[in-house]
This record gives sequence, C-alpha cells and structure tokens, in this order.
Amino acid sequence: MNEKLKMVIFHPVLTGFLMTMMVWYLGYVLMDTRSIPAPWQAIIYLVEASDVMVIHLGASFLRVAVALGIALMIGVPIGILTGVSSRFNRWFSPFLYYIYPIPKVAFLPVLMLLYGLGNQSKIILMVLIIVFQIILSVRDGVRQIAATQFTVMASFKASKLATLRFLIIPAILPQLFSGIRVSIGVSLATLFFAENYATTYGIGYFILSAWTKMNYVEMFSGILALSFLGILMFKTLDVTERKLTPWQTPATS
Amino acid sequence: MHMSNRSFIEIRQLSYHYREEAVIEKLNLDFSAGISYGIIGESGVGKTTLLRLLAGFLTPTAGQITIEGTTRTAPREKTGFLFQDLGLFPWQTAYQAIEMPLRLEKKTASERKSAVTAQLQALKIEAIKHQYPHQLSGGQKQRVALARTLITAPDLLLMDEPTSALDMMTKESIQSLMLTLQQTYQTTMVFVTHDIEEAVFLAQKILLMHQDGSIEIIENPLVETENKRESLAFYQKCIEIRQAMQRGEQL
Repeated sequence: MNEKLKMVIFHPVLTGFLMTMMVWYLGYVLMDTRSIPAPWQAIIYLVEASDVMVIHLGASFLRVAVALGIALMIGVPIGILTGVSSRFNRWFSPFLYYIYPIPKVAFLPVLMLLYGLGNQSKIILMVLIIVFQIILSVRDGVRQIAATQFTVMASFKASKLATLRFLIIPAILPQLFSGIRVSIGVSLATLFFAENYATTYGIGYFILSAWTKMNYVEMFSGILALSFLGILMFKTLDVTERKLTPWQTPATS
Repeated sequence: MHMSNRSFIEIRQLSYHYREEAVIEKLNLDFSAGISYGIIGESGVGKTTLLRLLAGFLTPTAGQITIEGTTRTAPREKTGFLFQDLGLFPWQTAYQAIEMPLRLEKKTASERKSAVTAQLQALKIEAIKHQYPHQLSGGQKQRVALARTLITAPDLLLMDEPTSALDMMTKESIQSLMLTLQQTYQTTMVFVTHDIEEAVFLAQKILLMHQDGSIEIIENPLVETENKRESLAFYQKCIEIRQAMQRGEQL
C-alpha cells in the first residue's frame, strides 16, 4: 500500500518536474537572453529565499482557498437548483449565458470602489470568476442523473432532503471535482490581477514585483514556487476525490 | 360492497392518456392478495404504463386504483418496484444499496445491520457486499436490486421485465429465486414480461393485454406442476407439431 501510494504521488510529479526543467534549460540555452535565467539559478534563489516565499505562497493560498470555499457555498446550491427545477433554470440559464463569457476582471475597478483595496475585493473578484464554472459543473452533473434514479427514490418515498443526500450529491461529485480543478487553475491565474494592487504579500505580487525590478532570477523562482503551489493543490484535490468517490475507476495520471 | 369482499387491488374505469392519445382506456381489473400476476401483450398495449400507474409513478387521467381500500395517488409505502434497468446507483456498494431504504425509514444502525445481513444471506450475495455495480455481473446486479426492493418487506411487488437483460442460465436461477421468495412471503406480485416462459414459470394468473384494450385472464395450467420448465417444453413441442401438421408437413 505504502509503495503504491508513493508511486502514485511522486512518480508523475517527478517526471513532470524533470520535463519542465529540460524545456526550461533548452529555452535558456537556445534563446540565450537575460530574461530566461538558468533553471538552477532560480532553484538556488528559491531555496535561499524559502522563508519569504512561504509567506507569499501562504497569502496566495489563503486567498484562493477562501474564494473557492465561498464559490462552492454559492455555486453548489444554485447549480443544484438550476439542474433540478426547470422553472428556476428557465430564468437563470439565459442570465448565465450572458454573464459566463464576460471576463469578470473587467469589473475590478467597480469592486475596488465598492470593497476597497484589501483582501475583500481580491477575493470577491476570484469568487466572481470561478463561481459560474462551479454552477455549470453542478448543473450539468444534476442533468446527467437518469430519470429512473429519481423514480427509484420516489418508489422508496424519499423526501427531497433524502434525495439530495443519497442521489444528487453523490451523482454530481465527479463533475464538481472537474469544476474545482478548472477553478483552481483559473484562480491561480487571477492572482496576477488580484495581487497587482495594494498588497505586499502573495506570489502574484512577488512575481510582478520581480518583473518590474527586471530581476528575472527572482521572477522565475516565483513562477517555480507558484507551480509548486498549483501541484500541491491539485494533488490534494486528487486525494480528496479518490476518498470521496471510491466508486470511480481512477484515471491514469 | 363489503370491505371483506374487496380485492387487494381494484382498478375502476382507469384511463391514462399521453399526449392526447389513450394508452389505457376505461380499464376495470382486480388483483387478489398473495397471487402472482404476469402481464403479457404486444408492444404499445400499455403494460408498463399499467405497472407505473399501480406504483403511483403516473397519475391516472381518469378513474382510480384502490389498494387495500385506499385510493392510490402517490407511491405507496408497502409497494416495491423492480426497475427494468435496475436503477442501481454507481456510488453505492451492494451493502449500501440494500441499506438505503432502511435509512430512509430512519431505522437504527443495529436494525439496519441485522436486516441487511439477513437479506444478503437470503439472496446469496454476501461475498459481493462491498462491490460497486460496475464490478458486478448482470445476475449479481439483479440480486442486489431485488434485495434493495425486498428489504422493506413489501406486500406488493411490481417488476418491469425483471429478467430481460440476463442470459439464459442466470435468468433461470433468478426466476427460481423470485418464485421461492413469492411463495415464502406470499407477496402479491405483478410483473410485465415479453417472455411467455417467464410468465408461465412465475405467474399464477396471466393477463394478456390486447391492442383493443381488452384483457384476457388466463389461469396458469401449470401452476401446481413441479417441473414447470419440462412441462412447458413439452407443450411447446406439441404446439410445434400441431402447427407443422396444419401446414401439411411430414413429420
């Protein structure tokens, strides 16, 4: 079991890391420009500045985690309602089609005016960006439930709450996890907007600040740290998914 | 009419229309308690619709269904339904699936445990209790679905083509199991089938639904026979011989 676990967790991650380093190294050699430092320079910088980096990563992680939590609390109930009630879906879906493709970053000036420059506006921006992804994942998950399965619950005279607990929630979990996976990627990218103003902590801030200083070693060490944060979050999600949806045949990673 | 003379199920002037078209029109039918009924008939005569009306999944356009003196409007507690595609949930192990109806009835953990364990034994599926549906064979899934339906001890069991998805061997073992269960618990059983052999094997009365809406009730002549399958094979052979003779073939 331990051996197996080790293989699953470490093997693909290590391969991925080595591949990234190789491509990076090729870029460094072939482009021969000051804006792409050697991989080892960034790694050495990262190790030396690890105490500062942890604070930056921690600040960013907290923002993403809180935003994700809020987006789930709002998105899951709305997604279920949209999937279950055709009446709610009739007036909500057209709205969703309009709002979904709009780059929510465009609302940043409004959010800054309404919620100030602190964490509030940063987190609300991220919530706005990912909540629709969550709603759509959940709605599609509910819609994929076969009519017979609802009839099964009806045949046992299950209440609405019991139907939610035994049928709807387990049924949407796989789609919900896909939605969360996309949301994590998107919210990490959003850090560059959210941490671009009025903060001195956060990995997005760190990278942007190194960029303006034209310190490319520092910038790349920040990018590397960001990728580690991403991998950590994705791996945590994978483990949680396997735990919560044991019936799914594990996808080969 | 006296209460004591009433049938277990009474169908009176029952109509069901789907998109302006009458699937069932002014049907009158009675079912007695503890008897097994097999419904056969061509496609589109409303067999499954009748079953779903009995279950309370569909609401009659007109007329009424009365079970144990109560008019049917919604699914009834003591009615079990075995679905054609079984309707097992991919996320429930055999054990969890069979336990779910008891959870819905708010039974205690120890009550659930002893009931589910007994049911697993009765249907010979203890070995697969921690398997998910995708890990089970057709016959095993059928047993799990049957166990889930029977765990609430229904007095009326409705089944929609219960063995249509199974191979011959599995079909026969599931049918034997159903027959044993029906005879043990004296459950009233109403099932729809395309398989005349299944109807003869499982049903005491066979309801033949016709295109014009009429229903022929046939007493199963083999009901008391020990070796139903052999007898049925014999009858089938007789029919073939007679048909061949009518065609004037040399035997």
